[in-house]
Amino acid sequence: MLIPSPTDLSSIAPEIVLAVAAGVLLLVEAFLPGLRRLLAPITIVASLIAAWARFHFPLPGVVWGGLLSIDRVAAFVDLYILAAVLLTAWMSGAFLRRNDVDRGEFYSLLLLAAIGAMVMAASVDALTLFLGLELLSIPLYVLNGFLRGHAISIEAGLKYFVVGAFASAFLVYGFALMYGMAGSTRLEAMGQTVLDGGGLSPVMAIGLAMVVGGLGFKLALFPFHAWAPDVYQGGPTPVTAFLSVVPKGAALVALLRVVDGLDLLRLSPHWVTAAGIIAVASMTLGNIVAIVQRDIKRMLAYSGIAHMGYAMVAIIVAGIDGGSAVLVYLAAYTLMNVGAFAVVALLSEREDEPHLISELAGLGWTRPIAAFALTLCLVSLAGVPPLIGFTGKFVVFRAAVNHGFVWLAVLGVINSLISAFYYLRVVYVMYMQPLPRRAPVFPSERSVAAVAVVAALGVVLLGVFPMPILEAAHRAILDLVR
Amino acid sequence: MLDTSLLSLVTLLPAAGALVLAVLPARPAALHRWLALALSLVVFILSLAVWFRFDPDLPSFQLQEQLSWIPQYGISYHIGVDGISLLLVLLTTLLIPVVILASWSSIDAHVKGFHISLLLLTTGMIGAFVALDLFLFYVFWELMLIPMYFIIGVWGGPRRIYAAVKFVLFTMVGSLLMLVAILYLAWYHQLSTGAWSYDYLALAATAPRIALAGLWSPQALLFLAFGLAFAIKVPMFPFHTWLPDAHVEAPTGGSIILAGVLLKLGTYGFLRFNRTLFPAAWDFFVPLIVVLAVIGILYGALVAMVQPDIKKLVAYSSVSHLGYVMLGLAAGTVASTQGAILQMVNHGLSTGALFLLVGVVYERRHTRMIADYGGIAGIVPAYTGLFLLVTLSSIGLPGLNGFVGEFLILAGSWKVFPVAVVFAGLGIIVGAVYMLWMFQRVFWNPLVHDENRTLTDVNLRELLALAPLVVLIVWIGVHPTTFLSPMEAAVRSLLG
Repeated sequence: MLIPSPTDLSSIAPEIVLAVAAGVLLLVEAFLPGLRRLLAPITIVASLIAAWARFHFPLPGVVWGGLLSIDRVAAFVDLYILAAVLLTAWMSGAFLRRNDVDRGEFYSLLLLAAIGAMVMAASVDALTLFLGLELLSIPLYVLNGFLRGHAISIEAGLKYFVVGAFASAFLVYGFALMYGMAGSTRLEAMGQTVLDGGGLSPVMAIGLAMVVGGLGFKLALFPFHAWAPDVYQGGPTPVTAFLSVVPKGAALVALLRVVDGLDLLRLSPHWVTAAGIIAVASMTLGNIVAIVQRDIKRMLAYSGIAHMGYAMVAIIVAGIDGGSAVLVYLAAYTLMNVGAFAVVALLSEREDEPHLISELAGLGWTRPIAAFALTLCLVSLAGVPPLIGFTGKFVVFRAAVNHGFVWLAVLGVINSLISAFYYLRVVYVMYMQPLPRRAPVFPSERSVAAVAVVAALGVVLLGVFPMPILEAAHRAILDLVR
Repeated sequence: MLDTSLLSLVTLLPAAGALVLAVLPARPAALHRWLALALSLVVFILSLAVWFRFDPDLPSFQLQEQLSWIPQYGISYHIGVDGISLLLVLLTTLLIPVVILASWSSIDAHVKGFHISLLLLTTGMIGAFVALDLFLFYVFWELMLIPMYFIIGVWGGPRRIYAAVKFVLFTMVGSLLMLVAILYLAWYHQLSTGAWSYDYLALAATAPRIALAGLWSPQALLFLAFGLAFAIKVPMFPFHTWLPDAHVEAPTGGSIILAGVLLKLGTYGFLRFNRTLFPAAWDFFVPLIVVLAVIGILYGALVAMVQPDIKKLVAYSSVSHLGYVMLGLAAGTVASTQGAILQMVNHGLSTGALFLLVGVVYERRHTRMIADYGGIAGIVPAYTGLFLLVTLSSIGLPGLNGFVGEFLILAGSWKVFPVAVVFAGLGIIVGAVYMLWMFQRVFWNPLVHDENRTLTDVNLRELLALAPLVVLIVWIGVHPTTFLSPMEAAVRSLLG
């Protein structure tokens, strides 16, 4: 029997904090419903305490008998997951009250999903990776359908569930095959098997393909992307913000650990071809289809597909350059996406109707702060300096050029050009179209606007002074790549 | 602080001013106008201080400042001026207050937003001229994009959206490939020296060693990646199609900035980056540049001749004028290069003044069609006089600035590309024809439109905006040495 040592326990202190808070939130909902206004603040405080715990306790590396690796990579990912939780919870209070579903379960599930993502990102064992994935996914199925009164939300929840179940099955089946070859569930042991065999055996390759497919679903990479637009469109907007960054972050880091553990770049020539096709197809498809979207949430869904394509470029490069580029890109993507979705949450009249881009007409001048925050986030997503989205693209393309993948960098920048077209179209609608005669009445909640402003400030400040994030990512990746 | 970071102040003060405007309330609008004007004047005075502290005898970059930015990649905030960028920085800082004055009454919606965009744009332009780190250069280069998108798209004419989107997409096509080229240069530098650097001076030492063997070799492709970005900005034929749209649709202030400064970033880029970083590819591609430049000269002039819209005529004349600049740069003699740089300044002054003058009557009559005017010389005499002076400057009358630039370019290029100079000379004649013909139809022909009888002459504000341009037009024409001597050392060292 595995008896956890004090190090084991302290290494997962953040997760413990979140789990306790998740329980407290349920109790508040059950016994003190009068204190509902405190639900979001409790969640925020819990994420802050968890972040403190991540800083306070040492990072021991591999713990729990080899199931988790609490290293700097895990810490980096934890911090950005906690930041996403904080921002999501901050914007959720007002949003949920507006839609009459301000419940403790919401925050509780949010925290559980965050724990799942953190476990997944720290996994060095197929079993914990799968457990983390499930703990992340199941709360999100519920959260996507949280607006029970709206068919579109229930549809989103159901779609995400069906597709997610497929993804999980893929992943498990793939790991089962790899386990069969390696005789161990440890990623390290699987890597050793590949190394000893001098390359991927067919069974190993099939297993790996299924694992990549399973994670690809979570990342909404081509050809596993079809669920994203519907789920993004239908889910409650704060959940969409969370969904668009946290599972992707966890899955990317898990993928990075797999790719690096198996040393695919060196051992399997087909890997680059296959992953390169996935990357280029994701960015191209995402960007081109995003152009014709009329709903801003669907547009951001397709843009998300494209962005994971860019991140995939960094995964292909792997190593220190590619790995740190993945981490930087994640941090950048989180800030811009959460900021954009916060504005979408703010500027929406009814949740069961499409969030049409055309409804934002003239808002640049009537809602200057929200519109400017959205502008900054979108321009940053387009990769214009000196915003953080440019930093992200810069490190990714730099990694690609430095390791002989100039063609990926060129295809990436061409895609950036396509993306500029639809991001700037939103800016055009906001600033260069007049207010319609029957202008929609949008809420003006301080807390949601505050999230957008904080994210936009982050986009600018970390774009101009990217050193902290670049250094943290660089140091973190040294723990992963030896 | 003023001593050691003078150049940074000039570069970053406008952006800081934009931040200040951003937090102030949108009304009263006059507050934003006055603040922006005051700020732009301070920046101009500071840039004059740069001029006086600059030692014209030194060919090197002066007033250099270097701060660590992203040390692990070898990226630093490194700026400095030589005689070439100094002139262009001064041109920029001079034109900004002119633009603010020119927009004083014509921009009456979202005044705050306009001035924020303008000030951010200013930082981008000055920064691109003084940047000595390619990463920094790229940041400043792209920083210009969004403010200009707003200036055209929000305050522009009827087809402003089309023009704004076209401007952005054209510009981005070039600049994104340049980004990949910059990444490649840094990687090559690391390969050959073992250290990461994006520093211009460091890369200028290693980049020329990149292999050149035909069109598909690395150096040629890098040259094309940089060259495309700059050729679109210049704009060289056949990448010029965004320019008439952007110029015509932009508000007067936007057109002045576009013609006055933004286009110069293209020619400056060719000189500063393409020529220095890829000397072998430069020699390889010079014939192409010359051909495109001459086509641009003649094509721009011929198309300008048939334009019914004054602003569009001036826009196409820019294509023609910038062709001379490219010819001078391609010829690469000291005289032709000096002429080309001076002609960049000249074009900024005369075309800026022309756009300003067109804006003056447009504000009163809301039309820019040549056919809607005619015979107004007697009604607005001061305006007519100023317009004539600027027209003559634009067609290169001796004694005014345009002559000096064109003469140096053609004389300097004669030994290298005699045939091109002959064709370019034809362009000068066509240039005189379309400018004078336009002048005749607007000012001299019989007065047929009664609306024009009530036209009012230039007012004090417009006169103030024009004055510095007119003074410099004459000054450069009479005494070009003031402006030629500071750049001579830099040009000689650049041409090696």
